Amino acid sequence: MNKMIKISAIAAAISVLPIAAYAQSEVVVWVAGEPGQANVYDHLASAYNEQNADVNVTIVKNSSDLFNPALIPALSAGEGPDLFSFGTGPGQPAALIAGGLVADLTDAYFANDWADVIPQGIVVQTSSDGKLWAFGNEVETTGMFYNKAVFAEHGISVPTTWAEMEAAVAKLQDAGFDTPIGLGAADKWPISHWQSMMFGRYAGPEGIENVLFGDGAWTDAPFVAASAKLQEMGQAGWFGPTPVAIGYGELMDRFWAGEIPMTLTGPWVINGGAEAAGDRIGDFSVFAVPPFEPGQKIHPTNSIGSGWYVRESSENKDAAIDFMNYMFASQEGRVTLLNAGTVPVGPLDAALSEAQMPPLAVDIWKASDDHAANGSVPAFLDTITPGSLTTVSYDGLQALLLNVMTPEDFTGEMQSAWAAAKEAGEIMLPGGIAER
Amino acid sequence: MFLDPDSKLAQRLNPVLFLLPALTIYIVFAIYPTYSVVEYSFTDWDGIRPDRDFVGLENYQRLFSDKIFWEAFRNTFVWSGVIIVINVGLGLVIAAMLARVWKARLLIQTCIVLPVVISPMAVATIWRWMYQPTGVINQVLETIGLGAFATPWLGSPNVVLYALAFAHSWSTIGLGVIIFLAGLQAVDEDLYEAARVDGANPLQSFRYVTLPALRPVTAVVFILTLTQSFKVFDIVWATTQGGPIRFSEILSTYMYKRGALENQYGYGSAIGVSLLVIVSIATIIYMQIQNKEDR
Repeated sequence: MNKMIKISAIAAAISVLPIAAYAQSEVVVWVAGEPGQANVYDHLASAYNEQNADVNVTIVKNSSDLFNPALIPALSAGEGPDLFSFGTGPGQPAALIAGGLVADLTDAYFANDWADVIPQGIVVQTSSDGKLWAFGNEVETTGMFYNKAVFAEHGISVPTTWAEMEAAVAKLQDAGFDTPIGLGAADKWPISHWQSMMFGRYAGPEGIENVLFGDGAWTDAPFVAASAKLQEMGQAGWFGPTPVAIGYGELMDRFWAGEIPMTLTGPWVINGGAEAAGDRIGDFSVFAVPPFEPGQKIHPTNSIGSGWYVRESSENKDAAIDFMNYMFASQEGRVTLLNAGTVPVGPLDAALSEAQMPPLAVDIWKASDDHAANGSVPAFLDTITPGSLTTVSYDGLQALLLNVMTPEDFTGEMQSAWAAAKEAGEIMLPGGIAER
Repeated sequence: MFLDPDSKLAQRLNPVLFLLPALTIYIVFAIYPTYSVVEYSFTDWDGIRPDRDFVGLENYQRLFSDKIFWEAFRNTFVWSGVIIVINVGLGLVIAAMLARVWKARLLIQTCIVLPVVISPMAVATIWRWMYQPTGVINQVLETIGLGAFATPWLGSPNVVLYALAFAHSWSTIGLGVIIFLAGLQAVDEDLYEAARVDGANPLQSFRYVTLPALRPVTAVVFILTLTQSFKVFDIVWATTQGGPIRFSEILSTYMYKRGALENQYGYGSAIGVSLLVIVSIATIIYMQIQNKEDR
C-alpha cells in the first residue's frame, strides 16, 4: 500500500513538473490606435516573448473611439489589461488615479533609472502627489502633409509665409481641387488638431499653460483670434465645400490617392499611408504651417501620444513593468519604435544610430525640430482636457466651420465647460516626483 | 423520485420549470442591469471610483435645465417618427404588394429582408460611404440629371437626421414586412371575395379589409419599430457621432457621451432611465388606443 502511495506521489510530482516549467506570467496589453499605427507593439511583444520564456505578452488593439468606453468598465470591475495606454496630463487620468485603479510606478522609476529616459517635463504631466502614475512614452507632433507631385505639377513651392500659403491654396483651387486641405471634420477630432496648433500659435506656450495651469481663460483674445481665423479659412473653402460631411478615413484615402493635396495630421498615418500609396509614398512630404499673422512664431506641436499605466489589481505588475521598460527604455525597443516611425521620449542619439525611420517620419520631425527653439505647444488639447470640454470643443468647431457660431460664443462655451470642470475638481494639477 | 405527470403539483410546476431558464436569463441580462441603471441614476458615480454618493433627484432635475438633452429629446422623436412612418407605413404597403406578387416573390422578399441580418456597424459603414459628398448617391443623382438634389447628406444640418433615419429603416424594414406578410396570409380570402362582390376596388379592399384584419399585427410591428428606433445607437455613432454639431444627437448617443466619454455615469443613467420611461409611456398609450379601437 505504502509503495502504491509513493508511486502515486512520484507520478503526481512528475505530472506537475512540466506545468511548473512552463508556468508563465500572462501580461495582457491594451493599445489604442489607428490601423497600422499599433502594429509595432506586436513586433515588440513577440521579440520580448522570445527573450523571456517565463512571460507571455499579448497585445490587444482597439480603435481610439471604442478604447476608453471598453477600458473604464473593465478596470472598474477589477479586470481588464495588466498594462494599457491612456491619456495623460490634466484631464482624464485624474479619475483613474483617484479611483485607485492604476499602480504607483515611482519605485519602478527609480529602480530602472527612467530619469535618464523620461524628460522632467513629461514626468510633471504623468505624476501627482509625488508619485509617478504613467510612463509618458512617445512624442507626437502634427504637420502639414502634402503631395509633392501635385505641388510640382502646378508650380507650387512649400509656403513659408501666409501670403504664399494663400497663393498655394488659390492655385490649387484654380486647378480644380475643390478641397485644397483635407480636414475629415465629420469625425470632429481632426479639427481639434487645427485648434490645438492655432491656439498655440496665437497664444504661445505661455498662453496655453496659463489656461491649463493658471488663471488664463479660453476667452482670452488669442484664442478668439485663432477661432476666427479657422472659421475664415473654412468660409474661404480651404477645407472644401463640406468639410463636416467627410470622415477622417475617407479624407486620408483621398489624400493618399492624390485627390486632396494637403492635410494636417501626424506620424500615426505614415504606416497606413505606406500601404495605401505603395510606390507613390515618395510623392509625399511634410511642412510646418507658416505663421498666420505677421510677426507670429512657429511653435511646433508636441504632445505625449499617451501614457502607459499598470493596473493596480494586476497579478503581473512586475512583468508588465519589465515589458514597458523593454519597449521604451531598452536600445532594442527604442530602435524598433523608431523604425516604425514612433518617436520615444528621451535622448535619441543612441537609437537613431541604429534605426531607419520612414522618410515621412523624418520629414515631420524635421519640420518640428526646425522651430524647436521657439518653444512647443500641445498637439492634442482634447487629450489633456476633461471630456466635458472636449465635447463642447468638438461640437463648437463643427459649428465654426458651418458658420453657425461666432468665435466669441465658441470660446465662451469652452470657458464655461472648463470652469465647471475646474470647480468639480476634474483638472489634474501638474505633479513631479521627489528625488531619492 | 419523479412526480406523477398527471398530479396537480406536476401540472403547476411544469410551466414554472419550463419558464425558469428563460426567466433566469431575462433577470440576469435585462432586469438586473435595468435596476442597476435606475440605481446609478440617483448617484454621482463617475464609472471609475468604487464609491458613489446618493444625490437623490439631482440628476433628474439637471435633465430639465439641460438644453442639449431637450435637443436630443426632440431629435429622438423626429427620428422615431420618420422610422415608424417608413417601417410601419411603407412596410405594410410593401407586404400587401408582395402578397399579390407570385413571380420572383422569394427573390424580392430576400432582397428586402437581407439588410436585417447585416451587422449595424456594417450598415453604418456602407451608408457612410454612400452618403459621402463624392459617394454613390450623389454620383447617381448627377448621372440621371438630378444633380440639384445632390447634397452633403451627413454634413447638412437639415438633412442628416432624415438621411440616417432612412438608412436605419433600410436595414430594419424587412422584419416588419415579414411580420405583415405572415399576418396577411391569415386574412380570410372570403373577406376579399365579399368586398369584390360589393364592388370594392383594390384600394378600398386594402382600407376596409386588410387594415382592420392586420390591426394586431400592426400593433406588434409598431411597438417593435418604436422600441428599436428609440434604442438605436450604432448607426448614428458610427456615422456622425451626433453631428454635425448636435443635429443628429439622439438620446442614446447623448447618454453615451455623458456617461462613457465624460465619466458622468450617474447623469448618463438618468438619461437612460428617461429613455426607458418615454418608450414605456409611448407603448402604453399606443396599446390603449388599440384596445379602445378593438372594442
